[in-house]
Order: sequence, then C-alpha cells, then structure tokens
Amino acid sequence: MFFHITLERNMQLHPRHFGPHLREKLVAKLMKDVEGTCSGRHGFVVAITNVEDIGKGLIREGTGFVTFPVKYQCVAFRPFKGEILEAVVTMVNKMGFFAEAGPVQIFVSNHLIPDDMEFQSGDMPNYTTSDGSVKIQKDSEVRLKIIGTRVDATEIFCIGTIKDDFLGVINDPGAAS
Amino acid sequence: MSLEPFNRLVRLAARAFYDDITMKGDNQPKAGRGDNRGMAVVVLDALTRRQWVREEDLAKALKLHSKQLRRTLRFFEEEKLVTRDHRKETAKCAKVFSAAVAATGDGQKILKEGEEKTKLHTHSYCCLDYAQVHDVVRYRLHRMKKKLKDELDSRNTIQEYTCPNCGKRYSAFDALQLVSLTDDYFHCENCNGELVAESDKLAAEEMGDGDDNARRRRREKLKDMLQKMEEQLKPLTLQLARVKDLPVPEFGSLQAWEARANAAARASGDSSAVDSTKSSQGQGYGGTPMPFLGETRVEVALSGVEVKEEDTESDTKATAVKVLPPWMIKQGMNLTKEQYGEVMPVTKMDESSAPIDDKKSKDLKEDEKSRQDEYLKAYYEALVKRQKEQEDALKKMQQESETSRASKSDFSNGDSEVHAERQVGMKAKREDDENDDVEWEESPPAGNTGGTYKLADLNVEANASSDDEDDIDWEEG
Repeated sequence: MFFHITLERNMQLHPRHFGPHLREKLVAKLMKDVEGTCSGRHGFVVAITNVEDIGKGLIREGTGFVTFPVKYQCVAFRPFKGEILEAVVTMVNKMGFFAEAGPVQIFVSNHLIPDDMEFQSGDMPNYTTSDGSVKIQKDSEVRLKIIGTRVDATEIFCIGTIKDDFLGVINDPGAAS
Repeated sequence: MSLEPFNRLVRLAARAFYDDITMKGDNQPKAGRGDNRGMAVVVLDALTRRQWVREEDLAKALKLHSKQLRRTLRFFEEEKLVTRDHRKETAKCAKVFSAAVAATGDGQKILKEGEEKTKLHTHSYCCLDYAQVHDVVRYRLHRMKKKLKDELDSRNTIQEYTCPNCGKRYSAFDALQLVSLTDDYFHCENCNGELVAESDKLAAEEMGDGDDNARRRRREKLKDMLQKMEEQLKPLTLQLARVKDLPVPEFGSLQAWEARANAAARASGDSSAVDSTKSSQGQGYGGTPMPFLGETRVEVALSGVEVKEEDTESDTKATAVKVLPPWMIKQGMNLTKEQYGEVMPVTKMDESSAPIDDKKSKDLKEDEKSRQDEYLKAYYEALVKRQKEQEDALKKMQQESETSRASKSDFSNGDSEVHAERQVGMKAKREDDENDDVEWEESPPAGNTGGTYKLADLNVEANASSDDEDDIDWEEG
C-alpha cells in the first residue's frame, strides 16, 4: 500500500556546500540519501514530494559539518499481509517462484501455486497447467496475495500465494509472442 | 412483501450465532443470576414481531431492564443486525410515534404516560434491518467456511524447510538466501545440503512422529468441524436460499416509517378524509423525502387550505365532498367525480338556472372566432373596468353565487372542470398568488356583462390548460 507521509531527518552537510545554493544542495542530497531506501517502519521511500521545513543548522565541532533537521513529505510503499499486488516474475525454480512488485521481493512457494500447475524444468523453467493454457515463467505478470511479510530494518521480504480466487497470471509475455 | 421468511431467517440466525452470547458488563463476573445467555435470542425474536419500536417500550414488553436491553441492542447494532435511531423529542413527538405504532397494529398499545411533560428527552428506537441481516448472515457463513477450508488446505501457511543433514530449519522468508544458482533446489547455508519442504514430508510418509500426528489430528478435526457446520447450519442456508430472490422488507428511516404508518392509519380511519390525506402523503413523504416533514405534519397545512375552501364553499355548495385542486390529484388515486370537480357544476346547473346557461353556451360556440379577435381589445378595456368594479363584484358575487356558478359551469366538459376549480379558488381568493390575469378574469361573471365575460372566460380556459400541464409535471417530478 502506498502512503503519503511526512518524515524528518537530520542532514549533515559538508562545509563546501555553504553558499548561495545551500538549500538546493541540501534538498538534492536528501533525495539522493532517502529515495529508494527502506525502513521497517514506513516501508520503501519511493519519492520525495515536498520539503516542508529546514530547521536551523548546527555546526558540529571538529569537522565543520552542519546538521540540518529537515522535514519532508514522501510517498512510501509498504506491503501488508493480505494485500493483493501485481508483480513481475523474476525467477522460477522447483521450490516456487520469485516475483518483484517494485522494490519488494516476493516468494511464492510451490505449495501456494494451484495444484493443477506443474513445474516444467528446462531452458525456461515454468509452471504450466496440464492443458498448457496458463504458464508462469520469467517476466510473466502475476496477481498475488501476500500472506506473510518479514520486515527487517533495511529490507522487506514477502511470501505470496496465487492459490485463491482471481489470482494468477494476468499477462503472459510468452503467449503474446 | 411478506415479512415471514425474513423473520424466520432472523430467528434462525439468532439461534445459530447468538444463542450463548452473554451480555454482561465487564465488571460483574458472577454466574447464575447474572447469566443472561439466550437474552439475545429473545430480543431478536421480539424485534421480528415489531417494526420500529422505542427501546423503553421494548424493555417493558420484555420485562428487561432498559440498560440491559440497550447493551444487547448496541451489540446487535455493531453486528449490523439492527438499526437504531436516537432523537430528542417532546411528549408530542412521542405521541406521533405511538400513533404510528398503534397504526401498524402489531398488537402493541403504547402506554401514554408522561406525555404532559414538555421537556426534551432523548429516545432511542430500534428496528431490524432485514437487508443487512441477510447480507451479514451470508457473509458470516462465507467467512466461516473460508477460514476452515483455508486451514484445511494449509493455504495461507508459510512453508517451512528443513535440512535433512544438519536438521536446521528455514522458513519461506529465508528463500532469497537459500536459492542456489546451480540447480532448482534450496540449499542449506551450513552444509549446502538440499532442503526438504516440511509438508512434503508429511504427505510422503504416514508413519508419524509426534508432530506429524498432531498435524494429522488437527486436520481431522478441521474436516469434522466443517462437516458439522454444514450440517447444523443447513436450515439457515436453506432459508437464505429461499429468501434470496424475495424483495427485502424495508421500513425506511424512523421518520419515514412513522409518517407512513400514521398516514396509513388515517387513511383507514375516517373515510371522508381518505383521499386528501393520501394525496398529501404522496406529495410530502412519498414524492420528495423531506426529513422534517415527519414532524411538521403536512396535513395540518393542507387542512388549512381545505378549511378555507370549505368556508367559502359552504354557502354556495350543498354537498360535502370537496373538489381536489389538480395539483393534489395523483395517478392511481381513487377519486369520485365530484372530487375532480366534474359532475358537481353540471348538477348545479340543472337544478338552478338552466336557461341562462343554454344561452351562454350557444353564444360561446358561435362567437368563438369573433371573440378571439375582439378579445384583445375588449380584454384591456375590461381590465381597467374590472379593476374598479372588482370590489363591488366580489360583494355581489356572494349574493349571486348561485347564478354565477351556474353560468360558469355550462361549457364543455373540460371547461367546466376547470371552472369549478376556479370558482372555488376565486372565492377563497386562493389565486392571489397566481398571476393577476386569472384573478381579473374571474371577476367579470360577477359583474354580469356578457361580452367581457366571454372574453374573460376564454382567457381563463387558456390559462387553466397551461396550469394543467404544470400540474402534470409536478406529479411526475
């Protein structure tokens, strides 16, 4: 799920940036530092939309670095248990398949793949129904439900299932070509 | 719409799901006397026999403490079985409600006590929401089944893996680290052995160690439970299926219901006022849902109009039946012709002054074209004239009412209908708020000048017809 939230961060700025463009430098650094990171609490920071407030800088003794408290708004993405996501399959093996929904890695084990789909090894490992009408392979797009998340300080990993109503392949590149 | 299948549904659901629910406060754990299991069922059953009911009355009827009842009802409100409404009201409002309840005739006579008080009290009302009950019960069954089935299929469980060599256990969350680049299997981080999925093992071998046995037992239990559930809830599911295609009884909000019930009571009560009240009903409550009309009671205002009409008519008309103004007439109403204002004037005409009428009607037909030409000129003349004469005319009119009525009512049928209404209105000065023309033109007959009279009449006709169109719009909107 996506959230638009306000976060705070203390930014350290090197003295060489002090000058007329200090503010722009600070914002650029903030974007570079924050976008794409993941925190266990808020999920992935997708993009900064607005810098609300930059507080008074504090010069650190010895180094000359200045610490600015910065308040910014950002779009954050955090997967939840029970959420339905659309993801792209990245790897298929006998134990199941891995998929990515943006920055989030999702594993779907073979027990959570419908029983009528069988693993086919080979050049392009895939899961296929007995009549061959549905095929899950690398780069397939699937709709899946998250049944578990493991949230670390810097990483979120999910377990998904496609063994439910309306889940499964939504766009098969193999079928199109 | 019959309530019975839905009531049965509610009763079944009550027994299935709310049988052993205790409505206890958090602070009294004492058993025995405080044990009020089954109360929920009693309350729901009582509600199936009522529509909207004031909670105090319900409490009295069930011989429950009102607090206890309120707690139960709050619970049901959370369960979405019951809708509640709270409002501040005086004794008078309460009376309106009581009347409504009496009208529904569910055998419950509300005790009218404390009505002399004018203080505002907050009263709570409750009512079963059948549509929602239907949905809630279905959803509940669906959830129960799904949960059991999911667990049975171990659908939402997270896969576990063990290493057969070193016995280390992994869960699917570790999958990313376990993937090997060389083959399709997961490999142990310690010994690089191939991992085996836990449930595979369960499926593979039946000779169980303790863990497996437990799991199998659990499976059995789940299966058993699912079967039992299907069996025991069968009456409920059957009733759901029966009710599925029936129209859901809808009582509407408290105010709407109250208004409807009262109106129905009145309709069945005094027959003389049937149609007028019904039509007022249609306008006020049925046509445009206005929340406050329930209390302001539209028919009071209307009765004012009616009284006015009656007063003015009483001296001219002998019959008691009132003519309904066209804007009150709706499709599907059972009106006598008198009420449409059709027959009345004709009979009058026969009685009183037929000869004059005949003349005039002839005149009308012959002169119709010439009149139209004449009309504009004469009309404006007449305007000025009549303005002066109006006062006199009105006075005269009182005296000459009989003749004037007759003279006006002698046209073709459509005309006469219009006229009858105009006549009524004219005397009541009801058209004061309409455009001036109408008022104007109606005074001539009283003046009894033949030429202008006809002209004026023509105009009346035209206006009236346009009015009629308006009326139709009204009713449709």
